[in-house]
Amino acid sequence: MRVKSLIPMIGLLGMAGSAEAGENLLGYTKGAEVLPKGAAELYQWVTQRTDKGQGEYTAYDLKTEFEYGITNRFNMTGAFLAQSIETSGLLIDGYLPEEIDTGLEPAGITVGAKYNFLSPAADDFGLTMALEGAYMWKDPHSGQDKDTFTVELAMYMQKFFMEGQLVWLGNLGMESTYAHRADIEGLPADFDWPTEPEMEIGIAAKTGLSYRFVPNWYIGAEIFYEEEFETEVGSERWSVFAGPSIHYGGARWWTTLTWVTQLKGGGEVYEGQIDQNLHLIEKTEDEIRLKVGYNF
Amino acid sequence: MRHTPALIMMPVAAFVCQVQAADYLSTAEAQAVLFPQASTFSRQEVVLTKEQLKAIKKASGVRQRKTMPPIWRAEREGEFLGWFYVDDVIGKHEFITYAAAISPEGEVRGIEIMSYRETHGDEVRNQQWRDQFVGKKVDAPFKLNEDIINISGATLSCRNITDGVKRLLVLQEMVLKE
Repeated sequence: MRVKSLIPMIGLLGMAGSAEAGENLLGYTKGAEVLPKGAAELYQWVTQRTDKGQGEYTAYDLKTEFEYGITNRFNMTGAFLAQSIETSGLLIDGYLPEEIDTGLEPAGITVGAKYNFLSPAADDFGLTMALEGAYMWKDPHSGQDKDTFTVELAMYMQKFFMEGQLVWLGNLGMESTYAHRADIEGLPADFDWPTEPEMEIGIAAKTGLSYRFVPNWYIGAEIFYEEEFETEVGSERWSVFAGPSIHYGGARWWTTLTWVTQLKGGGEVYEGQIDQNLHLIEKTEDEIRLKVGYNF
Repeated sequence: MRHTPALIMMPVAAFVCQVQAADYLSTAEAQAVLFPQASTFSRQEVVLTKEQLKAIKKASGVRQRKTMPPIWRAEREGEFLGWFYVDDVIGKHEFITYAAAISPEGEVRGIEIMSYRETHGDEVRNQQWRDQFVGKKVDAPFKLNEDIINISGATLSCRNITDGVKRLLVLQEMVLKE
């Protein structure tokens, strides 16, 4: 059969195609597959961040995201962010100005687009470029009011081994951030809480493997490096996190549970920080992330 | 970490969810569809050696998982019509079971999807898509988007069925050629 004669038929097939492509096998490292034209997927992320070495710190980040396949290669995304931060027994000059228990509150929105250049199954190596813009009105670290505009550009890479039973994922990303903190009434005179606009550039490199050990179930592990640069101090922070994932993929929905711990970190440290080999100002020692995806 | 147990319990709950299997054809039904003129199907006992498994992987590019692949010899009143195979390949979540009919000369007569255990991507059952394999021999490219059209969103299924058919052609060439 001639390939050309199949194109109209396959176009129709693509419209009704699988929505499994957006499935996240790992918690932090993303895959290169995109949704086919007309398919949609709803994601719910919950990330718990805990432990800054001293005091109590527990944060929950919620991301509710909708993704839609505009074409078989081009997807659009939109997300709503919410967060909850509870901290006590620890104040960090310039970062954690007061003890707080925010409860769950809206924190931001994102809009993004993904374009798939290469399919991991059809082309042997998957490559997708993702662009995401975010506006947050809450600081994800302190829970204080802070306007943040971020643009992130990332490349998602993916390779199948063993006919897809073993999957390698790799991401490279860079983000630019403009942030402006709101004033806080009643802070001590010597407490540093700058309200001038600040600009930051962040880079990230992530990689991981996921292996299907029985039908529907994958186990995986990932490691990622993140660094953030800021005009005043140069490299403000860097960290290496790693940890395992378990993933279930069903007919309509999937879920992934990931735990990562900070192996190594550097950059700024807070006064009195005991473990100087971690970055604990903007990061925590542990994160647990649960993702659930539903295909339409 | 107060809420950790709740976070952990959600994926565990997936254990109780059953993925609906879609079994479309039994072996006998697939045999009747692919060799309608055959009067007998006799099971061909084949036990592949390690060397043969390696050679099949080298020639086809993918693993031959089963050392005793289910193969039947199709005949009509003593006339040899071809080989009938039942094979499994990896789908997105579970194995896809399909049947292939290959002529004695090593030419694909047709394939049938017997079980597709995932809700999405079952467009691989579409006859026009399956008909792309008819007439192919072992030296065909078997490349998605070249001689086999991909189905968006079911790319892994398409890829693995395509590779699987080529692997069966290689197996026949190496082990069953008369």
